[in-house]
Amino acid sequence: MENNMLSVKNLHATVEGKEILRGIDLEVKAGEVHAIMGPNGSGKSTLASVLAGNEKYTVTEGTVEFLGRDLLSMSIEDRARLGLFLGFQYPVEIPGVTMANFMKLAVNEQRKYRGEEPLTAAEFLRLMKEKSAVVELSSKLTSRAVNEGFSGGEKKKNEIFQMAMLDPKLAILDETDSGLDIDALRIVATGVTKLHTPQNATVVITHYQRLLDYIVPDVVHVLYKGRIIYTGDKTLALKLEKEGYDWLINEYDK
Amino acid sequence: MDRIFEILGELRKAGREVFRVESPVPQPYASVDPGHLRVELAAGAAAHLVVLHTEEGTSALDIDLSEGAQLELTELFLGGTFCETAVRQGARSRCRMTTVLLAGANVVYRIELEGADAENNLGGAFLLGGREHGVVKLHTSHRVSDCRSDSTVKGVAGGEAVGEFSGLVYVARDAQRTDARQQSRNVLLSETARIETMPQLEIYADDVKCSHGATVGQMDSDAILYMRQRGLSESQARRLQIEGFVGDIVRRCGVEPLGEALLELAAEKLEKL
Ligand SMILES: Nc1ncnc2c1ncn2[C@@H]1O[C@H](COP(=O)(O)OP(=O)(O)OP(=O)(O)O)[C@@H](O)[C@H]1O
Ligand SMILES: [Mg+2]
Repeated sequence: MENNMLSVKNLHATVEGKEILRGIDLEVKAGEVHAIMGPNGSGKSTLASVLAGNEKYTVTEGTVEFLGRDLLSMSIEDRARLGLFLGFQYPVEIPGVTMANFMKLAVNEQRKYRGEEPLTAAEFLRLMKEKSAVVELSSKLTSRAVNEGFSGGEKKKNEIFQMAMLDPKLAILDETDSGLDIDALRIVATGVTKLHTPQNATVVITHYQRLLDYIVPDVVHVLYKGRIIYTGDKTLALKLEKEGYDWLINEYDK
Repeated sequence: MDRIFEILGELRKAGREVFRVESPVPQPYASVDPGHLRVELAAGAAAHLVVLHTEEGTSALDIDLSEGAQLELTELFLGGTFCETAVRQGARSRCRMTTVLLAGANVVYRIELEGADAENNLGGAFLLGGREHGVVKLHTSHRVSDCRSDSTVKGVAGGEAVGEFSGLVYVARDAQRTDARQQSRNVLLSETARIETMPQLEIYADDVKCSHGATVGQMDSDAILYMRQRGLSESQARRLQIEGFVGDIVRRCGVEPLGEALLELAAEKLEKL
């Protein structure tokens, strides 16, 4: 299957000797939107971190293919340069480092990896301006230090701004909708929708249906105790919102 | 480094032994390896002075600011100089100092606030690697009432380097309404690097606002991870983070292109830490 973007097979991962992911299987194709839901502590962020290459987690079993490459053998930065983006559940503040400086390095590292020339200063500024409009991020914020003193909502918008700058093949957005007010949610969600094309794919990790009103998923997965215990279409999210996870969990725990 | 010399080459020379300024209009001056230099600013005079230390030897700056004088002093250490800088400030004088150590120098500052409403502001940074050993000692004395001092010294040590900061704020019995702040903030880049910091207050007046603090931390591994996830290499991420940490100090020097040139030079050094 040539439009297969991400193929996760029987993925197991541990942190500090504790097994968190216990056999994940997940196939994502270009053009698709997947939602991953599941109770707190089920391993959603862990899955995102392992895919991004966070070295805190040890993969003990399984394989991951991304764009035909063996993802697990690659460094964090090479995964990013190849086109994997992780929107952090908790974006990190980096005092004294301006967004512009940070993004210039990020964009040009990606270009270098792909054998492209670095952007000129003018091209870069144009890109910054164009992409900050996607999430209505004010130029005041893009001239500040990375996430420093940003409100919760601004941090999440900033994640999507960076996603827009880097134009990833696969974006994994970890609770990008948490902590947003109604307007910010609309802006962030519309931003993500604008960035979605038939050539890329998006995996959104979320607890709420409200995000999925904007970003309509093709597939919805439920992650529980480190496994995907159920997969359905977009109506699953609605059912979960109404009925919670109990009906699934009770079935599974039996 | 050449860039720094180029910039300094375009400035007036501060002369040897005694450098006296009378003009109230601040002009930038430069001095390279001054040895023993006395700097006098007449009442109401103003100047920018950039001092570059490259040698292993000793150096002494004796600075005297008369009433209302204003000095912007930038010192850059590229060699293991032992340097003592004494600053005496008269009433209403202003002294803004920046000191950057890119080598294992041993630097002592004695600041004496002797006239009311004098103000001293110091920003220091040391970046040490390999087996370098750098020392910054700061002794700020509030002798009379209504003076202000504010010092921030940031330290970065990698490899097997050792950094030392010791700061003392002394407030005399009659120095009421003193406002004194001192901060020492440090980052260790390796397990084998060490930074010792000793901020002290010695206060004999009762109506004062004094604060001091010291921290020694590591690189923020979450920030490194975050930057790498956006495609930066680990070394770029580390460098950016340290630049962010010391950038405000290194860049703050008042002579226009010098701040950026210093940051560039510091970044080159960071690359090797
Ligand atoms: N670094 C770590 N050290 C110890 N335990 C960890 C670590 N990271 C994750 N865990 C544990 O792994 C489990 C899964 O955590 P994870 O953050 O992946 O859950 P989640 O599904 O994202 O939850 P939430 O919905 O609350 O964000 C939790 O029990 C958590 O405590
Ligand atoms: Mg999570």
